[in-house]
Parts: sequence; C-alpha cells; structure tokens
Amino acid sequence: MKAHFSDYLIGIKSGLQEMIAILRKEYDYVSVLATDSHGLATRISQRSRSVSSETMTTERGIVVRVCNNGQYAEYAFNKFDPSKPEKAAAEIQGALEAQLVMLRLAGVKSYDTPLLPDEEQTLFVEKETQQLPETADVKALVEKLGAISDKAMTLNEHAIECIVSAQSTHICKMFLTEKRDLCQSYVYSEGAIFFVVNREGNSQVAYKSVSGLCGPELFDGLEGKLDKVVTTASELLDADRIEPGEYEIIASPEVTGLIAHEAFGHGVEMDMFVKNRALGKDYIGKRVGSDKCTMHEGALCAENVTSYAFDDEGTLAGDVTEIDHGILKTGICDALSALRLGVQPTGNGKRENFEHKVYTRMTNTMFDSGEDSLEDMIASIKHGYLLEGMESGMEDPKHWGIQCIIKMGREIRDGKLTGKVVAPIIMTGYVPDLLGGISMLSPHREVFGSGGCGKGCKEWVKVADGGPYLKTKARLG
Amino acid sequence: MLDTIINSLKSSGVYGWEVSDVKKNGWEFYFIRHELDQHRAKNVEHINVKVYQLTDEGDSIGFASSEIAPTASEQEIEKLVSDLSYRATLVKNRPFTLTPPAADQVSDGKASDIADISADFIRTMSELPETEGEDINSYEIFVSDVSRRLITSTGIDSTEHYPSSMIEVIVNARREGHEIELYRCYDSGTCDAAGLKRDLQKTMNYGRDRLIAGPTPINGKSDVLFSGSDACQIYRYFSERMNAALVYRQMSDYEIGKPICEEFTGDRVTVKAMRELVNSSENHAFDEEGAVIRDTVMIEDGVAKQFVGGRMFSSYLGLENSFNPTNIEVTGGSRSEEELRSGNYLEVVEFSDFQVDEITGDIFGEIRLAYLHDGDKTVPVSGGSISGSMNDFVGSMLMSKTSVQYNSMKIPALTLLRGVTVTGAEQ
Repeated sequence: MKAHFSDYLIGIKSGLQEMIAILRKEYDYVSVLATDSHGLATRISQRSRSVSSETMTTERGIVVRVCNNGQYAEYAFNKFDPSKPEKAAAEIQGALEAQLVMLRLAGVKSYDTPLLPDEEQTLFVEKETQQLPETADVKALVEKLGAISDKAMTLNEHAIECIVSAQSTHICKMFLTEKRDLCQSYVYSEGAIFFVVNREGNSQVAYKSVSGLCGPELFDGLEGKLDKVVTTASELLDADRIEPGEYEIIASPEVTGLIAHEAFGHGVEMDMFVKNRALGKDYIGKRVGSDKCTMHEGALCAENVTSYAFDDEGTLAGDVTEIDHGILKTGICDALSALRLGVQPTGNGKRENFEHKVYTRMTNTMFDSGEDSLEDMIASIKHGYLLEGMESGMEDPKHWGIQCIIKMGREIRDGKLTGKVVAPIIMTGYVPDLLGGISMLSPHREVFGSGGCGKGCKEWVKVADGGPYLKTKARLG
Repeated sequence: MLDTIINSLKSSGVYGWEVSDVKKNGWEFYFIRHELDQHRAKNVEHINVKVYQLTDEGDSIGFASSEIAPTASEQEIEKLVSDLSYRATLVKNRPFTLTPPAADQVSDGKASDIADISADFIRTMSELPETEGEDINSYEIFVSDVSRRLITSTGIDSTEHYPSSMIEVIVNARREGHEIELYRCYDSGTCDAAGLKRDLQKTMNYGRDRLIAGPTPINGKSDVLFSGSDACQIYRYFSERMNAALVYRQMSDYEIGKPICEEFTGDRVTVKAMRELVNSSENHAFDEEGAVIRDTVMIEDGVAKQFVGGRMFSSYLGLENSFNPTNIEVTGGSRSEEELRSGNYLEVVEFSDFQVDEITGDIFGEIRLAYLHDGDKTVPVSGGSISGSMNDFVGSMLMSKTSVQYNSMKIPALTLLRGVTVTGAEQ
C-alpha cells in the first residue's frame, strides 16, 4: 500500500501558502518546510519493557527560511493556526528583527550569499509499504520481540540480558515556496538485538541490526539474526587483545560502510568546503584511492532509512559518484553551500528536525563492489584480520585522519582463518593510505542503516552506508 | 491544551500518568570567520505524556509514551490517550509505585535574557587573541531560555526555568602551507567569557604544537595523563556503573559497601551527584519523573555507597529518594599536579573521539595531539591510538588534588591511567 500523506499537513497547506505570500512582501526569498512524522518504538528486555510513539525522527513543526540582501535567516515553531497566517508572519518578522537589532548593536558583519532560485515545481510522492507504524499490531510485535529475548537467554549460559528494539517511522514532509509544492511520505524501520554476557566479571555485548525503507514488517527478519548474535557474544568472551601494529585487513560490509562514511562521507560534505574545513576541496580530480576504489553517495543509490524523494531544502534526491576508480570527482552539497561554491546541490541538505539548521549531510554512502571472492581475499593474506561489527567512527576532514571502533577481528595466517578472535579493535590511519591500499572487493554489497550520524558532536540524522568485503591495510590497536 | 490532556488522562481510568511541558525560546547564530552566515530563532513547545497501567492483580505494570503536538485537536488527544492506555497494558514490568511529591519539591528559576547572553558570546568571540598562525575558522552559538513543567497523577506539579547555552568553535592553525583544525563544543548555562577565552587560547596553542608533532613512537604500554575534558568519560564510567538501571540489569557488578575494585595501589575516587554546579546547563531541581535532585555521595573513597537512577529500577533495588543525576563531582586525588607531571608518560590532549564503555570497561581513542614527557624533555606527537580496559586501571589510577569543571562535571584537573596500551603511528 501507499504510505498515506499527512492529513494535518494538507490541512495547513493553504494557510502556509498565505503566510509565504505575506512574508514575500518583506523578504527576497521565503520557503517553508512543514513536517508531521509519526512513529512506533518498542524495547523489550528481560528486565524492562516499554512502548513509545517517539523515534529519532518523529516530529511535527514548521521552519521558515527567509533571505534579504544576501542574509539568510530561519524561524522554527510548532504552533501554527492556518486561519491566522498574518499572525504567524508577524511573529516571524518580529523575532528575526529582534535578532538583527542585537547584531547591529554588536557590529556584526554579514556573509553575503546569492538568492536561492525558485522555479515552478510540484511533486507528490507516497512510497510503498506493507504496514504503517501508526496502525501496526503492537501486541503481536511486543510478543515477537519478547520471544526473541527469551530464546536468547536459553542459548548461552553466561547470558545476563537481551534487549530487542524495533522502531518504525512514517515520515511526512512538505516543502513550499511561492512556486514550489513538494510533498513526500515514506516509512523506514530499524531493529536490533543487543545480547549481554558476563563470565567471571568479563562483560561483553554483541549486537546485530536490520533496517530498511519499509514498515514494521521488517521486524519479521530480526529473529534470523539471533544465532549470529549469540555466537558473537561467546566469541567475545574468549577474545584476546590484538598485538598493536599494521596489518592486512578484510573489512566486512558493515566495516566497509563505516570506512566509507568516515573517509569520504564527512570528508566531502561541501558545507565544509565553504568554511575551508575539508582537505577534499583541494583534491577534486586527484587520486585519493586505488583503482579499485569507487564510491557513491545519495538518497537514490540505495533503498534504506534515508532514501527520500527530496531533501529538507526541496532539492530532489540524487546519486553522486564521489570517487571513480580512485579519483575524487566531487562532493555532496546542500543548496546554500552550492550557491556559495557555484555548483549544483546534490539533494543532501538535511536537518536533525524542523528546529535545526540545514547542513550538508550523508544519505546512503556506498563502496562499489568488485569481483573477488571472500575466500580468495582470505587466501591472499599472510597475517591479518577479518574485521566484523561496527561500533563507532570519527573523521578529521582537514587532516584525513580516521578512527573506527570495531567489534572484533578474526585472525588470518597463511591464507586461512585460525579461529582466534581479537577484540575490541581501534583502527586508525590516514584516509588516502587506507583507500590507496584497497586491492580486492567482493561482488556482494550490503547496506546498513540502523545508526545515526552527528556533525561534530550534535545534529543527529539517519544515514545508511555499506559496500562489499574489502581488502586493504590498516593500523590496528 | 494541557488542561485538555490532563482531563483526558483523568477520565481515562489509567493507573498513573506524567505530563512534561517544555517551552523553549532559542536564538542561534552561525559565523564563518567572524561574518554572520545565518541567524535563526525558535519558539517551540514539546508536550510529552507517559501513561502507566497496572494489571488487576497488581502483579505487573506497563507504560507507554508519546509526544502530543501543541496543535493536536481534542479528537487527536483523545485517540492518543486511548492508544497509550491500551499499549501500556501490552508491556509487563515488575510493579513499582510512581514518584510521589516530596516535602522539598520546589519550582524555581526565572526567564533568561537570551539577547544579552547571545551578545556576550558574540563579544567574547570577537575578543580572542588570534594570530596569523592560529585563528577561528567558524563558530555556532545556541542560546535558549527553557521552561519545564512536570505534572503527575501523584500530585507533583513543578516548574523550573533556566538558561541553556552551547557554542561550537573550530580553531585553525597553519604553518608552511599546512593547515589543521581543532574542534571544541562547550555547554553551559550562560556565557562563561573568561573560561571560554582561556580554553580557546589553550586550544590555539595545541594547534601550533600539532603542526610540529611527530608520529607517536610508542608501541606497547605507557602511563597516560589526561588533562582535558576527555577525562569526563573516565568518570562517567563510575557514575554510570552506580546507576540503578545498570546494576539491576547486572551490567554493573558494584555492590553497596564494597570497594569498586579488588586492590587499590593508587587513588580512590569519591563520586557525588550534585544538585548544582556553577553555571552548569544541567542544574535541575527535579528529574524527568519529578524526583527531587539532591547532593548525594555515590562512591566514597573507592567504596560504593548509594545507587541512584530512575524510578523503576530504583524501586526494584529498594532505593529511597532516588533520582537521575544530572551534575557529577569527582574528588579523591592525593597528588599535586607537579607530582603527576614527573617521570615518563604520554599526555594526550586531543583525541578524535575518546570513549569509555561503561559495560565492558573498554577505552579507545585516536591520538590527534599528545605530549611525550621523558623527564625534563617534552615532545609533541600525533597519530596512533590508546586502548585498554578500565578493569585494569581503576585500582592504580592517580588523580590531582586540584579540580576543573566541564559544564555538568567537576573532576580532578589531572588523571593518570597506568599501563595503557599505545599503538604508535611510526612506520
């Protein structure tokens, strides 16, 4: 079925359009993003059970963007009466003018930015889903997650807790200007199993997740992850510490996604180019990886949690080839940064929610696949590790440093897995060295969308990333 | 709106409910260099409702929660309350009672002048001692006046009003055509101009040193000194392991009256939950369930004294007057800064993202800038990482007697972990 677009947004549309018309008499540019996204979140463990209608992306609110004389400003609010658009317009003008008074007194200079174009465009998208979070069978879902948690506890004598979470969000967004009228409705879902074991004071946590551009039907696939979670937890209990050093590694698709995200995800967010905060700006057209290295970014290049039809500035979704056979081609860009840089926006202008500013943000960040089998990759390694399980990452786009926290590594010696597991692992290095070392890629790709991504230490948004098994060299500790 | 919600809850027949109403009036300013890129304002209200249902037999309790938009119609409110009432019956937890009003339940605070606070930040940033080699790339200022009211079925009706600020600053340093950046994010109540200037000056010095840093040479064990805000992660490990949720779930093995490690050869931490710290953005009178926040010793001289946490898990552990702490103060250091700064050690002042896992005890961090101290000789180094487990460090860690505050955490100014694994960056 189609994910039904918000009746609330349809109900306030004409009022918002009237408000835009009023504000246009005062401002050179006016746009509105209105949101009404509902969700379902269930968390079941052995010692606590809860259900909520809130997820990371549920919201209802409005943000108005205006521009006068090259100065952009925004006003976010969530009490709009569509019968009184003039009242909202006055509130917006009053608040922004009060800021300008303070800024003038402080003697602040403004950064001049060209005017955003506004051309006739209409779009109404309702993507397919089998179920909606608003009408899901919560009773059945709670029972399903509870059964997974209960079963997990029987599978390992050292089990102390199994937390099973499931979240589904029905996103509805409407972008309006004088000439544009864009509406989209889609559903994404994500679920995870966290399994905690303890043996003689040694606590370990294993997890597996699922995600997709679909409704709560996704959670039918959670139980299939349970055996792997339980096995991983056992392996972590017996894991050794790694001997620090540089090794040949095979990144599993999940770790490949983490590398993609940290290396040339954040590194080519072009709002960072505007501030001269990314080294990538000076490397367009230059080699940053091996011939085997090709990367894509965009809401259209995979179907997962952030595969929208248009971004939070009304730019249609795209698919950008960032790296083509090792050569950095371009970055990703929000609309205002694109104006400043003289390039086209790529559909990557995203907000944490209606209250937050737009930044250039990732959607699906993916390495392209290759033709090498995993078996051949393992056979090619004298001493190294197959890395599995992503924990977290951090980038330094100005210096191209990278930090990836990885759950575990499986030792490879003389072309064979030895059965020895090391954990946890911190992988560090210099991005061009890491990508320059890519020598083999498997044909199969996977996408992972169960995590969030911050910019600095804030602005959390949904992202997805992934790719194939990938062989390179890295420093592990 | 609130009356409509509360009337709907009262007539729904549910066992209990909590309504949180947070109003935020915020100003934001985004600068590139010192030019205004964009300014933003917000005026929002977030109403969250939590409904509790007790089974007829009283053997289990369930709860469900939702945000209710301030624009919701009466019909929407009725449906949401009805949905929550039903959903709460689907999740069965061990029974517990809801937070009752306390004798010292208070409402406090007054509205903040966000224009004045914003102007303070802007003025402070314009007064930094920038040089040709070290300057400010960009910064983002967030100032809010927050009003938070909590109303519950048990009779709590408390309101607090407080300022909340944050500034993100990117510092650049350059030398011979090479430029790097350092990232800072400061939370506070209002603008701490002196503290901001002092820390950003130090950050610019770090930037200068990072440009001349060589690769971290060590591969093996080293004593590691923490002299910046990353040490907060180390102390959060202790406060989190004293949280009722982690204890009840058996993810923390701390026991009341028992030392938090088998053998101490170093300093013993004392960890306190604090109602207030100077200019903290987390100075709250009550937690999200209405429990009054009080100064409470959680760990004293390395011995677990008092678990704290949310109502459900606190009830399960039989804790009286428990709450979710917001500010933490750590003491217990026995050494002067001079004593801790003697001998051979690695002082890491910039990490990519230093982390401490409160369940496994694992620590990680890529080194962006460290100083390798070898007697009287100090060399800046960069690259590589540190790793290890708090399980191995708690007994031997050393702390300074002096303290420093990072927003909601007041901690020893210096912390030394012994025998940390360092993965160097030398080829």
